[in-house]
Formats: sequence, C-alpha cells, structure tokens
Amino acid sequence: MPLLPSLYNLALWLSRNSTDAEDLVQETFLKALRGFAAFEPGSNFKAWIFRILRNTYLTSVTGLAATRTVALEDEVAGPDGAPDAAYPEAAIDRQTPEINLLLLSDRAALEAAMEKLPSPLLEVILLCDVEDMKYKEIATVLEIPIGTVMSRIARSRAALRKLLEHPVTRAKEVRA
Amino acid sequence: MSDHISSQQLNALVDGEMPRDQLALAEQHLAECAACTSQALAQSLLKAATKQAGLRYRPTDTLETRIGEIVRQHSRSRRGTAGSGLSSPAWLSLVGAAAAILLVASIGGMAMWNHHQSEADVASAQHAALETEMLDQHIATLAADSPPQVISSDRHTVKPWFQGKLPFSFNLPENLPADTKLEGADLTYIHGQPAALLLYSIGKHRVSVFVTQRTGGTPAPGPSDRAGFHVAGFNTRDLDAIAVSDVDPGRLSGLVGLIFQAQSGVTLPAK
Repeated sequence: MPLLPSLYNLALWLSRNSTDAEDLVQETFLKALRGFAAFEPGSNFKAWIFRILRNTYLTSVTGLAATRTVALEDEVAGPDGAPDAAYPEAAIDRQTPEINLLLLSDRAALEAAMEKLPSPLLEVILLCDVEDMKYKEIATVLEIPIGTVMSRIARSRAALRKLLEHPVTRAKEVRA
Repeated sequence: MSDHISSQQLNALVDGEMPRDQLALAEQHLAECAACTSQALAQSLLKAATKQAGLRYRPTDTLETRIGEIVRQHSRSRRGTAGSGLSSPAWLSLVGAAAAILLVASIGGMAMWNHHQSEADVASAQHAALETEMLDQHIATLAADSPPQVISSDRHTVKPWFQGKLPFSFNLPENLPADTKLEGADLTYIHGQPAALLLYSIGKHRVSVFVTQRTGGTPAPGPSDRAGFHVAGFNTRDLDAIAVSDVDPGRLSGLVGLIFQAQSGVTLPAK
C-alpha cells in the first residue's frame, strides 16, 4: 500500500497523536473513495489525496486548534507577508559547515526541532523534503500560491536552524 | 549576480526548483562567494537531514488491515448496487473510484476483484495508474525548466550517480541514433518507490524514461497514447521501464528498444 505510509507519516506529524492520525488516514481514504469522481484523470493523484488528508486535518479538533496557531503565526509575519522576525528568511548563518553538520547529525535534536515548528512550517517542509514534492505540487496540496510555498520553506528552514542552535530560547519564541 | 543569493533562491537551488537562467547566475556567484557557498551547503545538509528525520512514523498492521477492509467493503457495496440494476454514470464513477483506490492501495482486496475482473483488466488498469503518475512527472519536468540532478551525456557518469540511491542497477545503451542524446538523470519516486528518471532528447523532443525495480508479474504494456503523449515500455526479470514523450512513436520505441537491449543483450520483441 505505497501511499499509506506517507499519508500516515504526515498525519502523525500534524496531529501528534497516533489515534488521531489513524482516524485521519481512515477518513482520508473514505473521502477519496466517495469523491473519486472529482479526481481529474491525468492530474496528480498523490497531490489530490494529500490535499484531502490536509483538509481533513484542518477540520479535525487538533487541526482547528492548530489553525488558531496559524493565525497567530501569520500575524507575526505581518499582513503584508513581511518575514517573521523570529525566522528572518535572509538570516545570515554564522555557523561553519562543520558545525552545521554536527548539529544536523543529532537526529533526536532535529526531530525535537521539527516538533516545535508551527503546522504551516512543518507541513511544507515535510511535503518538500520527505515527500519530494515539487513547489507546484505543494501549492496544490496546501492550496496556496507558489510564492507562499517558497516563503514558508525559507522560514521553515530558518526556524529549524535557529531551533538547532538555541533549542530552549527558540522554542519559547515559537509558542509566544 | 553581485548581490548575495537570497534565502528563497538558496532553497530553490537545493530543491532543484531554480529556473535555468537564474541557475547560471547563481552558479557564477557561488564560484566567487564563500559565504553563499557555505549557505547553500548548509541548506543542502539541512534538507538531507530533514528528509531522514521526517520519515519517522510507520502505520501499524492494524491500520493497514482496517484501510484494506474499508476499500473492500466499498468495492463490494458498489458491486451490490450494480447488481440491483442501477447503471448511472455516478455508479460507474464510484466503481471507478473503488477500483482506483484498490489499485493505488495495491492491497490484498485485489483477490476479490479477480472474481469479476480478469487479470488482464486489472493489470491494464494498474499500468494506466502508473502511466498517469509518470506522465505527471514528465510534464512537471518539462514545465520546471530546471536542470536534472546529474547533467551528463556520458552513460559512465549517469549510471554510477545512482549508486547508493537505488536498490537496483541498470545499463544504458552505448550507441544512440545521431539526433538522440542522453541529457542527464534524476532520482524520483513512483508510487513511493525510488526510481531512475533518465532524460533523453530526440531532436527537440524531450523523453522521460522511468526505470523501477520490478515488483509485479504483469507484462509491460504495448505502446499507447495518453493526453497526446506517447508511452512505451518494457520489463526484464528485475526491472520495469516506461518512456513518455511527444516524439514520433516509432522513434520512442526505437530508444526503448535500445535501452532494453542494454539490459539483456537481446532485441525487444515487436508488439
């Protein structure tokens, strides 16, 4: 069942609860079965079913809670889309590649950093890096412009790097 | 490019999404700027690490069984509706939905289908789903205008590039027709499985050849057309290959035949 592991992985990252994630995947398959007539042959099936999963998540209890976080996070970014002060896109990395490598080799630290990301930044980086989706596909799944995809990816990676450098202080900033 | 490369551009670079014209400028800048090169390396390392860390959870067998049962029940109920004499387009689409999910899911429920559908029909539908995904990727490759991960016309460069990236290996033909050229290759994923995407050009036409590890026993489909593109493929004992292009079907089949011959040393039988 090739897509099930990918769907479940994203579901559990987003919901952070295995029971919720299983329900989310089950609901996604049910909706896909019922709504397959809406799928356009020749279009991207993976993007289509991931979009169902993501929309299902957004209307779930955990998703609705995260949506409130999204609103706060967007406010921090500014209504004109200006970079989030906590995660400036053009932040200069003062670390050397060797130090970066050491930081990234700590998988537990990276997983912990990813757990601290707000949903909009987490989902975009999972679709890009883990699912190897193109920006256009990510835009389809998240139903946002490609420019926003690029902006979120930049902010997500900047956030991860900051969290890896200063895990405690940055985690507080994320929740603020 | 005298200014430093922006964060978004660096991400586009490591994600393989930078347009060709910008890529040339970026590469020129990277050759001269240690700070941006360091940034690009850092982004690349982060991407690789995130990919590994992000693959964190696997579904339980219980969930797989539950999803499989849902799909089977759906398929069964659709057949029941059909037996009652209803034959509307909506019913047909729902049966199509059940069939498609069955195919995508590739679950054991396929056995139930076989009571009502011949193995040939199922295999044909499986190939159709596979071809659709490959066609999507071919079109995305054409539209992205970004260079492949490995750019080379040398088969001795392209083949080794996949070492450690794929759980299988393959051969590339040594001699190609005059206007046919190997342009490079990408690592891609088909139905969640790693695959080699070989990029050829025949004249001005681009050709995508997807090579995957053989997982089923179904034979390769004959040449076909999808959305105006031509599709041709072959399989060997260990590999499945499907080529997609808008080039003349005969020339596409010729290239596919050469790739097949490189695997087995024998000529691809005509279909």
